[in-house]
Amino acid sequence: MTKTSTLLAAVAGLTMAAVAPVSAETSDKRIALSNNYAGNSWRQAMLESWSKVGDAAVAEGAVAAADAFTTSENQATEQAAQIQNMILQGYDAIVINAASPTAINGAVREACDAGIVVVSFDGIVTEPCAWRIAIDFRQMGRDQITYLNERYPDGGNLLEIRGLAGVFVDDEISAGIHEAAADSKFEIVGSVHGDWAQDVAQRAVAGILPSLPEITAVVTQGGDGYGAAQAFAATDRSMPTIVMGNRQDELAWWAEQKAANGYQTTSLSIAPGVSTLAFWVAQQILDGQEVAKDLSVPMLRVQQDELDAALEATPEGSVANVEYSRDDAIAVIEASQ
Amino acid sequence: MMMKPDTSNPVAGTSPNLLVATIRKPWIWSYLAALLAFLATMVLSGGQGALSLLYAALTFASFSVMVGIGQMFVITLGPGNVDLSIPATMTLVATLSLKFMGSEAGLILPGFLIALIVGLGCGMFNFALILLLRIPPIIATLSSSFLYQSLAIWSNRGLRIKPPEPLAEFSTSGVLGLPNLALVALLLAGLAWVVLERAVVGRWVLAIGQNLRAAQLSGVPVHAVRFCVYVGSALLAAVTGFLLASFSGGANLNMGAEFMLMSIAVVVIGGSSIAGGNSNVPGIWGAALFMFLLVSMLNSYGLGAGVRLVLTGIIIVTVVIVASKRKHSA
Repeated sequence: MTKTSTLLAAVAGLTMAAVAPVSAETSDKRIALSNNYAGNSWRQAMLESWSKVGDAAVAEGAVAAADAFTTSENQATEQAAQIQNMILQGYDAIVINAASPTAINGAVREACDAGIVVVSFDGIVTEPCAWRIAIDFRQMGRDQITYLNERYPDGGNLLEIRGLAGVFVDDEISAGIHEAAADSKFEIVGSVHGDWAQDVAQRAVAGILPSLPEITAVVTQGGDGYGAAQAFAATDRSMPTIVMGNRQDELAWWAEQKAANGYQTTSLSIAPGVSTLAFWVAQQILDGQEVAKDLSVPMLRVQQDELDAALEATPEGSVANVEYSRDDAIAVIEASQ
Repeated sequence: MMMKPDTSNPVAGTSPNLLVATIRKPWIWSYLAALLAFLATMVLSGGQGALSLLYAALTFASFSVMVGIGQMFVITLGPGNVDLSIPATMTLVATLSLKFMGSEAGLILPGFLIALIVGLGCGMFNFALILLLRIPPIIATLSSSFLYQSLAIWSNRGLRIKPPEPLAEFSTSGVLGLPNLALVALLLAGLAWVVLERAVVGRWVLAIGQNLRAAQLSGVPVHAVRFCVYVGSALLAAVTGFLLASFSGGANLNMGAEFMLMSIAVVVIGGSSIAGGNSNVPGIWGAALFMFLLVSMLNSYGLGAGVRLVLTGIIIVTVVIVASKRKHSA
């Protein structure tokens, strides 16, 4: 379905590009997105942002094509084969959200050798010839404790909800949380894996709560705050400060609590629109700009006073998002130099 | 305290002996394991929170029980029979029915009907692949699950729609100290027990699992029974998906993921034979409670994820070995 519709969009875009006046050096360049997974709302928003920005770029003649391809099985071998196909199809740049930081390096190398620009983001690759748009996940962990330090200068007990065991992102965020917590008055009294899913987080929290003391705050990794809130609501405990992850249901719950009892917290995650930043970075490289191999993107943060605006801008059931423009990409590139 | 010498040597197929066999079946081990996990957690917390842990265990075990019952009947059909489309069916049903209801309280009943119809469709499609195209069940249900998952993605793009308020209220509350979900799962387990142990259909399922050819020759309507079993599994997955989405505040594209292994694990740990032809319902409840309490216990002891997964594996293997030893000696 996705492939057909992106193909149609690409065909439509091509025809439009043929009509529209040429406006950039890259107007005949074709960019492909190689995506390893589409099975959650974050990835869906990511793909949507890509096609929105990509189609517009094609329409205005910035590039000739911005096609998105997603593998069905979330496996490195499958993605490597997909990248090889893209090389054969003659794309000028490949933007990758990788299934593994190392396992598709061979295919990435082949692409580089064929003169193709490879930009990885979110799930980055370690192959030196590729560009990396990395997110400082460790900082994301530290930021949560920094916020809680301000809220509770006397510290307290923390419950940590982690992501999927064995995944690099989970280790990094958790390391950041533990690092910062060691320097604070907070103590992490419990840690569970919520697999970045509300229902798994809810079950894990419900299971560990009976054996825990009073909890001051819950640190999370995104996508699990609402589940934690549900688990707490099912007991007679008082609601702790749960750090949210920008999902619409989390923001909606927060707004509800805020209206009812002045509940305060913060929310942070990566915007799915980071795919559009990668798109513009690839375009800039194709345009001949000098770009450092390692770039970083800022977190998308929602504070107490921005809650209502963020909630309004987020489609129901989706995740808070920003789409990046060419100027944003240029700013990020300049900041790294 | 170990096993008493067993002299009755029950023969499957004759009903008084089967009753004896049922009582002596190894499902007792899953309850024992659940009790140990519960006590170990209580030792840590000093007995505090016992009731709320039990309540949580009953709530979350209900989901595993409901899909486990469907999977049990499928597995009972004999080697090669397993329903891998349960997670995708749950996701598709939950996505479509919650989208249809759109948080409107008035649409709960039609929404539930849609859930059942979609489940029915999934089950019939699975069985059509198996019977008409002669695809082995593992491949058939795995490939159809790609289809269901894609339909779920396509139909709602991963957007999470809240369940209607009364439905969310129903699935998160309880009566007489028991969660409503557990009551639903208990009711379904009771029905499954009657079907398996008391109805002729249950006999047919067991007969097919023990020897397909013999069952066929003795006049068992093999195709009709297998059809009912696969459709039943899909329907149970549908009900579970509907309730899980109502319980956790909306459908997720990855909401069913862990029920692939969980549905098989509760059947095996509960003491049913993975080779088919020999199953029991009570074990599913024991195993589902055990799976929840085990993870809670390891979490409470604050072990790292690696140790936790290794221990989970070792403990599950141990329970299965102990349970099957008992069965062979029986």
